[in-house]
Amino acid sequence: MASPIRILTAVPICDGHDSAINTINLEFIRHGIEVVYLGFHRYVSDIVRAAIQEDVAAIGISSYNGGHIDFFADVVSQLKKKGANDIAVFGGGGGTITHGDARQMKCKGVDEIFFAGTSLTEMAEYVKKHYGKKKKRRMKSIPELVLARKLTELEEAAGKKAKHRTSNIEHSTSKVIGFTGPGGAGKTTLIDELVLRFLQRDSKARIAILSHDPSVIGEGALLGDRATMINSQDDRVFMRSMATRGQAGGLSPATESCLALLARSGFAHVIIETVGTGQEALPFRNKLVDQTVLVMNPDYGARLQLQKIVMLDVADVVVVNKTDLERAKAALSEIEQRLTQNKRKQEIVATVAKRHRDPGVDELFELIMKEST
Amino acid sequence: MSKLGAVVEAVEKHGQFVLDQVKRARTDENFSRQVTERWNKVKGEIPISRAPTGLPLPRLALPEIDEPGEIARYLFGEGLPGEFPYLNGAYREMYLEPLREIETGSYGNKKSPNGDSHNGVRARVSRAKTPERPTRPPLQEEPTRLFSGLMLAEDTNKRFHFLSAHQRSKRLSTAFDGPTLYGIDSDAEGVFGKIGEGGVAVDTVEDMVRLYDGFELGAPNFSASMTISGPAPIIMAMYIAAAKRRFGAKVVPNLRGTIQADIFKEVQAQNETIFPTEASLRFLCDMIEWTTANMPRWYPVSISGYHIGEAGSTPVQQAAYTLSNGFAYAEMLSARGVPVDQFAPRLSFFLDCGLDVEYIALSRVSRKIWAIGMRDVFGANARGQMFKLHTQTSGRSLIAAEFKNNLTRTAAELMLAYMNGTNSCHSNSADEPFTTPSEEWIRLAAHGQAILLEESGIFRHTMNMLSGSPGMKAVERAVEKAILDEFREIESLGGVLAAVENRYQRSQIQTAAHRYEQQIYDGTRPIVGLNRYRNGADGMPEIELVRTPRAKQKLQIERLKKFKKRNAGKSKCALDELGAVVDRGENCFPALLEAAEVCSLGQITGRLQEIVGRFRPMV
Repeated sequence: MASPIRILTAVPICDGHDSAINTINLEFIRHGIEVVYLGFHRYVSDIVRAAIQEDVAAIGISSYNGGHIDFFADVVSQLKKKGANDIAVFGGGGGTITHGDARQMKCKGVDEIFFAGTSLTEMAEYVKKHYGKKKKRRMKSIPELVLARKLTELEEAAGKKAKHRTSNIEHSTSKVIGFTGPGGAGKTTLIDELVLRFLQRDSKARIAILSHDPSVIGEGALLGDRATMINSQDDRVFMRSMATRGQAGGLSPATESCLALLARSGFAHVIIETVGTGQEALPFRNKLVDQTVLVMNPDYGARLQLQKIVMLDVADVVVVNKTDLERAKAALSEIEQRLTQNKRKQEIVATVAKRHRDPGVDELFELIMKEST
Repeated sequence: MSKLGAVVEAVEKHGQFVLDQVKRARTDENFSRQVTERWNKVKGEIPISRAPTGLPLPRLALPEIDEPGEIARYLFGEGLPGEFPYLNGAYREMYLEPLREIETGSYGNKKSPNGDSHNGVRARVSRAKTPERPTRPPLQEEPTRLFSGLMLAEDTNKRFHFLSAHQRSKRLSTAFDGPTLYGIDSDAEGVFGKIGEGGVAVDTVEDMVRLYDGFELGAPNFSASMTISGPAPIIMAMYIAAAKRRFGAKVVPNLRGTIQADIFKEVQAQNETIFPTEASLRFLCDMIEWTTANMPRWYPVSISGYHIGEAGSTPVQQAAYTLSNGFAYAEMLSARGVPVDQFAPRLSFFLDCGLDVEYIALSRVSRKIWAIGMRDVFGANARGQMFKLHTQTSGRSLIAAEFKNNLTRTAAELMLAYMNGTNSCHSNSADEPFTTPSEEWIRLAAHGQAILLEESGIFRHTMNMLSGSPGMKAVERAVEKAILDEFREIESLGGVLAAVENRYQRSQIQTAAHRYEQQIYDGTRPIVGLNRYRNGADGMPEIELVRTPRAKQKLQIERLKKFKKRNAGKSKCALDELGAVVDRGENCFPALLEAAEVCSLGQITGRLQEIVGRFRPMV
């Protein structure tokens, strides 16, 4: 089976109109497309960076706030400048983009503009027809492009169950930190806040993030972690979003090989985020990561539920996020007790990741940095 | 329990209170007599109006009831227009045409013959400026308020002067460009092309001076409306700074106008917010506290359901989220110790009106719930109980295919809005699916209102003309119940703020929006010209669009750079002082006022973001 088409969707800077794109994203997914959604109010540079890192076939931009001729043209020209002119650009803006505008935009390298009244199916069919071709290996040796394309190859190989130069995790030059925990615990926010601290601590080092979202059965996937990230939109952050493509347990069939590649690509740290997991999940096996962080929120239910969470036995650090909630105090002491049963050194940290300059996140950051080698 | 839970209880209690009064009127002879006497007195004092055909009609229509229980149910449950709980109207006469002397009875308002009752607020109608004004008796203040904003401050200023040239009262409404709405300076990287697009570019107090140049900001016939929320406190400070520059500090208490400033709806639906929610709310309350104390004629927040509705919510969600947002603001301000009678009369509302059946009674019910909540939970006086409502017809209901049908859609929506007793209304142009309204279609949109209110006899002779039909009552009951259910859901999630942070409202709105689109595509939601009675191609008309020339965008950047250079020393001090105040947790609005004199919008936003962080987008 061919690998799913991957595209990136976004709304331009100074534009918060996300109603249309939300609906379109869902329709794309229904047609088997994997959509990396970057969110609204995004700079051209953020869109281009993300498209290259995610190695998407095309970028879809939904613009309702004017300035679209300049904005689309800028996306095309920055892609070209970065050697990624094989990434196509299409988009729409209801009635705000006129036929005259569209003609100008096409002259400047935009593939297609959809006008008001175009059906959702029509758009999805267009994407499937034009952006489903197999990608060629990139000739240019710009490292970011090469890395992104190699990750695509690994992902496609894993889909075909083909052996693909499985790299050895032993050769890792990065510290690999695994984040897991139930959906809604705030993993993505926490990672984004840690990234801010990484970038501030070291003015040169780069970080990689390998983030996972579930594939919908028989359909594509919405890879939406980037949309809520603010600090990770940075040239020193390499982020890749992966769909689970049918594999249970929180990761993708290609996670291991992709992670191994990232871990020897010169990043100081590689962060891996699983999908939201259940109680029995143990996503990081075979020494996949150097340090595991379990992120929980205080409403896990009755105390007894804690006994069933297997990750509590093996996590190096347990983060209780959202400790501004009412149940936080009780939760912290219950989890602390649960950890003492394990009789091994495990850290517990209380955070409110949504809070700017949260001291709990500072503490977690130091824990991660301390054990770096 | 948050105050929202208390509001649910208060509305239920009021329902029980009405039932008790009904029972009492039927069993207690004294009370029964009182109720009947009042009823007969009210009926006896209703003046007669005369239709152009000579047909006499009462100026107030009341139900044909004489049984004391039913009279009590009406008087306590709905209230006469202008009486608690204001179901039939916030004011007594709303859109009625002036009463001629000869027919004046005591029910009519002799002093202010244009339907304006006790407190100086009247129905406002957005109407395009036309040379041939209909011959209505002169109003003290014209109802026109046209939304405008394009290119640079001087361009918008020119448009303002053009639009208000023949008006006695100058009622301006300001649209800002994207960078301004996001608190970003025009010289920031990546925003070129967006400068002056869709609204006016404002970076500094000097732009603000240029924007309203030639208008007497402190005059009783001037008011300014500014549609901006994320950086609203900064823009408000710039407006005040500009007014002080031109007219001295004494002008401040006389400033009149509205700033949208509704953070909750931004986070729930419109996505134009720049600080984390809690910090945004703090800056907003700082501003409300300061302006309600120092600018008693200013409306510092317009609690808006319009954008929630346009983002795809159901009508019930729209009303429920808007009202609960309003109650949440009231709760925050009360918790700060701002007296309820200081802030409550300065809260106003803005709702969408589409074609769904709920709109038959949505605003009526909203008015009732607001009144009960404000009186019984917050202890507000009558002025603070009134739900002051601006309505706009639904932009989302307009479609590109066979777009002339949009005239009919808007007309039907206008009818619903006025049936609900809106205090002012904006009617959309039929060409809005393509463009900022062109003159031809905006004229038709505005004339639609004049035809409804002035030509037709529907609203000008008799209050309650269409109120209280069995169908309307059925919708009222269903809508009220559904709104209270939404309140309970929000309450169970820990109140408005907690629900917002769990993206409850967002997710509900998105689900509703998606269902709406699906219904259009599968035909279960009929849209004429789109999924029914399709007539083939009726493409976009070729329209000339207003776009900001590159030279103008460059000029704005140059000006901003000069301003920054000139104020480099002073701005650093002002920003440090602002930062210190924010860090100490004090009301930062006075420091914002200082900073607005010498700092750009982007500089202030940047400094505040360093301290409180940036908004993390929700999906």
